[in-house]
Amino acid sequence: MARSKMSFTVASLRIKRVIRERWGLISWLAIPMIIVFLMSLLAGTGSGKLTGRLLVTDLDDSMVSQFITGGFAQGPLAEIFTTKQVSLDEGKRLMDAGEASAWITIDNGFGEAFLSNEPTDLKLVKNPAQRILPQLVETSMQLLVDAATYIQIVFEKEFNVLKPMLEQQKFNDADLVALTLGIKQQIENLEETIFPPQLKVVEKAVEEVVEDGDGIPLTFGLLMFPGAIFMALIFAGNSLAIAIWDDAKNGVIPRLSAAPSGLNDYFNGQVFGAVAIFTLIVSVLGVLGAWYFALPWAKMPVVILWLVFSGLVIYLLFVTLALMMPSMKVANIIVNATTFPLLMLGGSFFPMESMPDWLAAIGNFLPNGFLLTGLKDWLIRGEGMVVAMTVPLVLGLAMLLVLWLFDRQLIKKLIHKV
Amino acid sequence: MIKIQSLSKNYGDFTAAEDISFEVQAGEIFGLLGPNGAGKSTTINCISGLLKPTVGEVFINNHSVMGEPIQAKTSLGLVPQDLAIYEDLNALENLNFWGQAYGLSGAELQQRITEVLQQVGLESRAKDLVSTYSGGMKRRLNFACAILHKPQALLLDEPTVGVDPQSREHLLNAVEALKTQGTAVLYTTHYMEEAERLCDRLAIVDHGKIIAQGTVDELRSQLGEKDLITLQGDFSLTDEAVIAEFELIEWQDNSIRFMAENAAAQLSDILARFEADQVKQTAVQQANLESLFIKLTGRELRD
Ligand SMILES: Nc1ncnc2c1ncn2[C@@H]1O[C@H](COP(=O)(O)OP(=O)(O)OP(=O)(O)O)[C@@H](O)[C@H]1O
Ligand SMILES: [Mg+2]
Repeated sequence: MARSKMSFTVASLRIKRVIRERWGLISWLAIPMIIVFLMSLLAGTGSGKLTGRLLVTDLDDSMVSQFITGGFAQGPLAEIFTTKQVSLDEGKRLMDAGEASAWITIDNGFGEAFLSNEPTDLKLVKNPAQRILPQLVETSMQLLVDAATYIQIVFEKEFNVLKPMLEQQKFNDADLVALTLGIKQQIENLEETIFPPQLKVVEKAVEEVVEDGDGIPLTFGLLMFPGAIFMALIFAGNSLAIAIWDDAKNGVIPRLSAAPSGLNDYFNGQVFGAVAIFTLIVSVLGVLGAWYFALPWAKMPVVILWLVFSGLVIYLLFVTLALMMPSMKVANIIVNATTFPLLMLGGSFFPMESMPDWLAAIGNFLPNGFLLTGLKDWLIRGEGMVVAMTVPLVLGLAMLLVLWLFDRQLIKKLIHKV
Repeated sequence: MIKIQSLSKNYGDFTAAEDISFEVQAGEIFGLLGPNGAGKSTTINCISGLLKPTVGEVFINNHSVMGEPIQAKTSLGLVPQDLAIYEDLNALENLNFWGQAYGLSGAELQQRITEVLQQVGLESRAKDLVSTYSGGMKRRLNFACAILHKPQALLLDEPTVGVDPQSREHLLNAVEALKTQGTAVLYTTHYMEEAERLCDRLAIVDHGKIIAQGTVDELRSQLGEKDLITLQGDFSLTDEAVIAEFELIEWQDNSIRFMAENAAAQLSDILARFEADQVKQTAVQQANLESLFIKLTGRELRD
């Protein structure tokens, strides 16, 4: 009883000191917000809407190829992509410079092959530094190709008339008029049945990628927002871990070791204090983010719990690193040196979606990385909670337990290092 | 109450404390007097369990510090040599923290905090952040944190270093009050006046060893009724035989020390044995702990 009271006092003193010191807390809260804002600006529009540039090289320049490329210049996709017609050289140069999300090349003969119902293919080059936008292009192209195939089936008769005319470059006016009328007739017949659903397929498909089941608009800012809260947790965890060294330096930890209710209570108190501070940070940033990005409020309790849990894992990781070091100076260097890779690779500065796959894979091995991915898969991508979060939860819990046990031993060794 | 049995502490090849043994009874103030690096803090830290002795045993209230640390530490209060308080908290918060570390809580703790603040004269500053305190006030708070739980054994490691006379008076009075309440106090210092004033018994330590132990009177009597005479000047060409009948302690080219009975009366005779202008400075000290230390080690207590 007295012992848990002691832990509680240690925790409340830690919180008091953090709040009194003020600037640490302010920076933990402010830096992530500023970074999300800046990165959103850099990524495009102020509201952080997802935008990209699509390059098209149409070597075929046929009706069919125009249908494909035109699909990106119209409707909902046009809001996301600015399409630019480029030559092969220009396309290669822009892609190499990373100045576009994707590049579609339509080879000469595509339209003809398509009309002859021969196997056809489109070339797609994706920007490896981006993930969402190129994915969007690929999905849309797939849909457009499907749509074209659908048209091919519907207009098979007309295509068969058109094909020899195109081949011979000899257009019989009467045939052409008949064909046009035939097509018009077909379209009129099918308008109500085919085209609305056809267009809907495209539109719906686009919306499926842009929005998840709960209708959250997917913007760059939203992709960054959970990572930014992780950033706040990483900064806070860093400072709070080093603060244990402060207590060793100012003599409190050695003196406590001479008291009967000693270092274990102290350490648990530090952990409780960190949890309380993380809860404060996560609640403030979480509520702001939920309001700004119109996230469903019903998900907030889980979001907050998950983030506090993640903060605790990160904190204990820093504490372990710090306590293993021979002096406060080295601890500071090591903890700071660890902080930046965690931030960079773990999805706090750049969303992992916009990282090359191999970097994102590394990021997912970092504890903040897999905890963040678990959260985003559920919150933003609409995966089921169990699917998205079970593995990170189990890994995180295992880390918590092991690190906590380890730190209880490490803190005793601290006495001899000061 | 505090019992140290042939305690030694090595740091690698270096022996910081060697074969230290003494006991401190309840209601007694025991002093450890020695210069910088003598091994006072090492001894205190072994008693409080902060350091593990290389050899030897320490008992607090009949509990071995190594064997039954919780029971031993419950009766122990520690005032470390370096401040061990939170500077960014106020005195009340610090006292609350340390009181709980020693298992106090609730009304009892609040009452003790009030009493202790009064004892060290910090009532009026209790709500100010410690970082705004003077050095002496911090030392008083550092002390106050150790006595909240009325420890039966109290370890004080140079509590008055850097403290003004007023703060020092507060502290020494508080220590004497604890003694009358039956606390066993182990007090380390390199101020021999403090040791003489406070301590019932004391041990003089140097280079990790106890070189003399007893009551202040017992130790004084080791010097007899002699005074310590220190002469400074150039003695490189002088023969030691000129002061052959006195007890020589140290003969160096620029200073010599020896013991003489009733020194004041003999001084002019002694000086006449040296050449004119050879002696630049003369000092005569009455027998005290400092002169005993010099006699035992050939060095001054404060170097
Ligand atoms: N961690 C350590 N490693 C090596 N040597 C040490 C260590 N701690 C203390 N010493 C050495 O042990 C000796 C005794 O130190 P101690 O701190 O006990 O002296 P002290 O009597 O308390 O001196 P002071 O009056 O300066 O406080 C010193 O020579 C010191 O250099
Ligand atoms: Mg010391």
